Amino acid sequence: MPSETSLVTGLTERTPDETASSRPRRADAERSSLALILKILRDSDADTRPEIERLTGLGRAIVSDRLATLFSLGLAEEGELGQTTGGRAPRTIQFRASAGLVLVATLDQSRIGVGIANLKGELVAEHHESADKAAGPVQIQKRLITLFEWMLRQHRGDQQVWGIGISAPGPVEEPENAAPRLRLLPGWDEYPIVDQLLHHFRAPVWMRSGVQMMAYGEYKSGSAAGTRDIIYVNLGRSIGAGLISEGQLHRGAQGGAGLLGHVAVTGGHQYRCNCGNIGCLDTEAGADAIAREGLKLATSGESRILAETLAAEGSISQVDVSIAAQSGESAAAEILARAGHLIGTTLASLVNAFNPSLISLGGEVGQLDDILLAAIRESVYRSSHPLVTRDLRIQRSALGNSAGLAGAALVVTDSIFATDAVVNWIGAGAPQKADVALRQIARADSAVAGNPSRPVPPAGT
Amino acid sequence: MPISGLGPHGEIAQSPESLRISATDAERAREGKFRVAVVLHTTKSDWAKQHLVGIAKTLGDNNAAIIEVVDCNFDAAIQNASLERLVHSRPDAIISLPVGNTVMAEAYRKASKVGIKLVLLDNVPTGLLPGKDYVTLVSADNFGLGQISAELLSPHIADNAEVGILSYRKDFYATNEREIAFRRWMETKRPDLVVRHGEFDEAARAGETLNQLLALHPNLSGIFAVWDEAAIPAMAVMKTSARPLPMTTIDLGEEAAQALADGTIMKGVGSQRPYDQGVAAARATLLALINRQPPPWLALPGLAVSRENIIESYQVIWHMPPPAKLVKAVLG
Repeated sequence: MPSETSLVTGLTERTPDETASSRPRRADAERSSLALILKILRDSDADTRPEIERLTGLGRAIVSDRLATLFSLGLAEEGELGQTTGGRAPRTIQFRASAGLVLVATLDQSRIGVGIANLKGELVAEHHESADKAAGPVQIQKRLITLFEWMLRQHRGDQQVWGIGISAPGPVEEPENAAPRLRLLPGWDEYPIVDQLLHHFRAPVWMRSGVQMMAYGEYKSGSAAGTRDIIYVNLGRSIGAGLISEGQLHRGAQGGAGLLGHVAVTGGHQYRCNCGNIGCLDTEAGADAIAREGLKLATSGESRILAETLAAEGSISQVDVSIAAQSGESAAAEILARAGHLIGTTLASLVNAFNPSLISLGGEVGQLDDILLAAIRESVYRSSHPLVTRDLRIQRSALGNSAGLAGAALVVTDSIFATDAVVNWIGAGAPQKADVALRQIARADSAVAGNPSRPVPPAGT
Repeated sequence: MPISGLGPHGEIAQSPESLRISATDAERAREGKFRVAVVLHTTKSDWAKQHLVGIAKTLGDNNAAIIEVVDCNFDAAIQNASLERLVHSRPDAIISLPVGNTVMAEAYRKASKVGIKLVLLDNVPTGLLPGKDYVTLVSADNFGLGQISAELLSPHIADNAEVGILSYRKDFYATNEREIAFRRWMETKRPDLVVRHGEFDEAARAGETLNQLLALHPNLSGIFAVWDEAAIPAMAVMKTSARPLPMTTIDLGEEAAQALADGTIMKGVGSQRPYDQGVAAARATLLALINRQPPPWLALPGLAVSRENIIESYQVIWHMPPPAKLVKAVLG
């Protein structure tokens, strides 16, 4: 009986009568074909046996065998009857997104957000609350675990946690043979938050900077669907850019790609930034800068609405400035137009260097204000080379404030179900049971206990 | 009073007072002669009735008509069917409290896609986003209300005791926020206490949940019910108990108000301002209908109501004088 070779993947499936020496290769091929079928089902590229056979080039018996394995692992299930192409209608088959759970969190300057997602990376629930980052990483991590436990109590049936995604308040560096660490955040650099989560939840952890998670969320499920070169700009207290290049998240050597808010701008107030430099974009056009300029209008009496808001609320936010501008106060509109111009001019350099097809604008400033967005658009188109703006779209984020959690869920699930990753865990049934995860967990246990990391033997030996 | 919580997607709250309707805006709204439907979880509760009064007055003042009010009786199927029907009759806007999350998402999305402006109250179905799928969410500061309830209960609880939460089993933004905040307050301010909890599916059956909770944890020293309609059957259980426990809850409905005035079991209420929330929802609706974009989350601070301030609070919350029986219970 000849071996079957897929025209699509080149996978070779061997028949049972081949020699014992070929067994390791056969096991590899079996895992590869399982990973391929899982990908097809998860991407909804096919939902019947004949379509799977056609897409993979695998024979009927092998497809049946692999599907039986996926059914037994709980990763696929049979659904309704599909369309017939003559003869009996085939039973549809679908990926079982509820086979496991993913926990996700966003940590930013003053807030903590948690969510729970299914294995398609779809958020099922989320909760956000204020957090005092000055309380330090130990308190934040404790709160994070409390909220994750609450989420699990509310939403978990018999599923296990397959992975955890953390959208971090700064760049994340991934040293070799060590857990990822947060950078540029005093007190957090050496804190082993990833190890703590691994130790507590016994599941692998992915941590990226917040804006990178948002960019990935927008790329996969927001306004950027179908686009492969994207700049996502988070307009908040700080201004950051997440870069998707040819469908891949670009993180940079130290995980710090996209620190747009720390580009020096000319003609501003020349305030000192928390990075130590003077005149950074954050200090001129971030949410705090807009609020600061709005406060000046309120106290000088140039804006009646902002003066009334200050009297009633005791403070001015960037949203108040937007509301005053929407209500027709030209001084408030001028603040936003100037901020938008500075952001757009800075962004234009990145557009020339990167040539994206989409700029997606998110964050709390980007969510609401049309004047600011119009000024950004105008400055980008005016200051960039005509070639790179020829087909460039600039639009508001479709995911809004949920981009960070949505992106974290998609980073985790896409990493778990990447074909080369599935090959590594499918034999164990779930990623948190695979050797590589067990080694990470053992290392985290040692780190949390204060012991040096010791290698552990692979499971089953 | 500052807002303690964040919106369903992490939004920072904006005060409804920031919704400015200028004379020009009002003129445009009046010329629009807009048609608005209201789809609520129930129309029978005091909370819902006050919302409707606030909505009707504000819309009426601006020449906008309420063409229908739907009572969904807490039933997702009824709400789905109502939204489906409204998609065809095409009001300009719908003001609605979604009774569920995942099960309701598609119906609300359909209404939004055909151009109906959606203003949501108290809850957002899974996956719906402000500015894209709905205009804004109007709610109380539910996180703050949970903190108020914890703070009002705390003086009645001895050191190192156990307190119980009667929580709502369904995934619902407002009640989730209240429970999380109550727990966080206790964890931070009363770390000596152990928090237990029981879950109910229907508020009317919260008495059974309390009995189960007491069977499991007979040493409980106080109870927090996540809203007043669940507190009412729980109070009935307490009244027949040899050891009635102090309680707090949220929303100053008639029965909760009277119980607080009586002062035997109910020790405090974190109250919303449903009339003002109704006004805010109507103002946000009018602005959206003249193509202005309100902030994504409009929140009103909660009020801490105790026996000491119940008479004044009643007037602030309900915009009417308190019942004579309530006044008599307080003043004698």
